[in-house]
Order: sequence, then C-alpha cells, then structure tokens
Amino acid sequence: METMAILFLGVLAIATAFLVIFSKNTVHSALWMVGNCFVLAVLFLMLNSQFIAILQVIVYAGAIMMFILYAIMMLNLRREQDEGDPRKNLVTGRILLVLLFFTGLVIMGVGFSPIALKGRMASQAVAQFGEVNLIADYIFSEGLIPFELVSVLLTAAVVGAVYIAKKN
Amino acid sequence: MTEHQSIYLALAAVLFAVGAFGALTRKNAIVVFLCVEIMLGAVNLVFIVFASANQSAEGLFMVMCVMAVAGAEAAVGLAIFVHLYRKTGTINIDKYNLLKW
Repeated sequence: METMAILFLGVLAIATAFLVIFSKNTVHSALWMVGNCFVLAVLFLMLNSQFIAILQVIVYAGAIMMFILYAIMMLNLRREQDEGDPRKNLVTGRILLVLLFFTGLVIMGVGFSPIALKGRMASQAVAQFGEVNLIADYIFSEGLIPFELVSVLLTAAVVGAVYIAKKN
Repeated sequence: MTEHQSIYLALAAVLFAVGAFGALTRKNAIVVFLCVEIMLGAVNLVFIVFASANQSAEGLFMVMCVMAVAGAEAAVGLAIFVHLYRKTGTINIDKYNLLKW
C-alpha cells in the first residue's frame, strides 16, 4: 500500500518535473513547478516530516513560486511566442486546475491518514506535534550560529535584490 | 521505512537528473531557474530520507537552510533577470554574452 503510494507520487513528481521543462509557456512551467512542490510535500508527509511539508507548501509553493510568477508577468514574455488557440489554452488550464485540486486532496488525505503518524520517527517527541520540538531544540542549541547566518544571508539577499533591480 | 528508502533515493536521483537535464538544455532563463529549484527539491528529499532513517534533526535543519538559500537565490536571480531584460530585451541565456571573452 505504502509502496504503491510512493511509486505513484514518484511518477507524479517526475511527470511534473518533465512538464516544467517541456512547457512552451513560461507561466505553465511555473505552475507545474507548484504542482511539483505539492507532490514533494506529500512525500515529506509520508516520511513523517509534517513541519517540513508545511514549510514546503508555504515557503516554496506559496512564496517563492508566486515571486517567480510575478517576475515572469513583469517581464512580458508573451510577444516572444505565438498565442495559439485560446480554447486549447482553456482546456489545458482546466486540466491543470483539476490536477492541482486533486494533488491538494492527496496532501490532505495523507496528512490526516494514519500512515502520516506511523513509522520509526513516531516516538514520544514526534507524537506531540510532528517533529517541530526536535527542530526547535536543534536550532536553538547546536544550530544557533548557522541559523543566525541564514538570517544574515536573507537580509543581504533582499538588500542586494533591491539594489540590482533598482532603476538607475 | 528501510525497504522504502531505496525507492525514495532512486526517485531523488531521477528528479535531480531531470532538473540537471532541464537546466542544461532550456534557453529560457526562468525555466533554467525552475530546473535548479527541482534539483534543490530532490536534495531536500534525500536530506529528509536520511533524517527520518537516523531520527536526527540535523537533516531537517539542513532542509530549512536549503529553503532559505532557495529564497535568497530567487530574490537575487530574478532581480538580475529583470535588470538584464531591461538592458537587452530578452531572457534567452544564449544572448547573455557580456562576460564572454
């Protein structure tokens, strides 16, 4: 059962990765990448990493991919490629929407199902709420310096991005 | 978990290979960028598989670091693309030969 689920999700992940590469439209590529992020989140849930799965959905699919979509739409790449039949685009859009919807359902199903909380990591620490306690203990004891360095990196990246993108 | 570990690792390897293939073959800079994100996702999967197998928080912490680095990379990379698009009017990476000797 679990093997079948992993194989199904694996095929889904590889298929979405190929669709990212072979989509003609850049916006479609970005949307398939969102689907790939969701599939990876389901795989993380099946490995008993609830917190990382939530982060994957919020940070990757929610923040980074929306950022990339904004950048794509700012760059106005539409004139470089032919429009094609709008009715065909509508059909592909519907298929994409339905696929994303079902991926979301799979995420919720795996998150609520018993297999999400079973496995070798389901010790007392995990049973309280995911593995957030483990990560927090690690971050604020051994991983404190890397954690602070990551915050410095993010600040530097944001300042650098604003400076580069500034009109001069 | 151990009998599924090989499946997860094989899947991560295939995802990484697909991402590398896309990053090397596509000409659109943003799609190359997305392929790099696919590769980062595959690496995250490997980290979580081994964190889950060893029951340690280090792999999970590394995944959070990778996500932060991906965010920083997205910010700086897209700023560079917007700047280059203003300068050259394209995001085809074959047209970016400014640093070519």
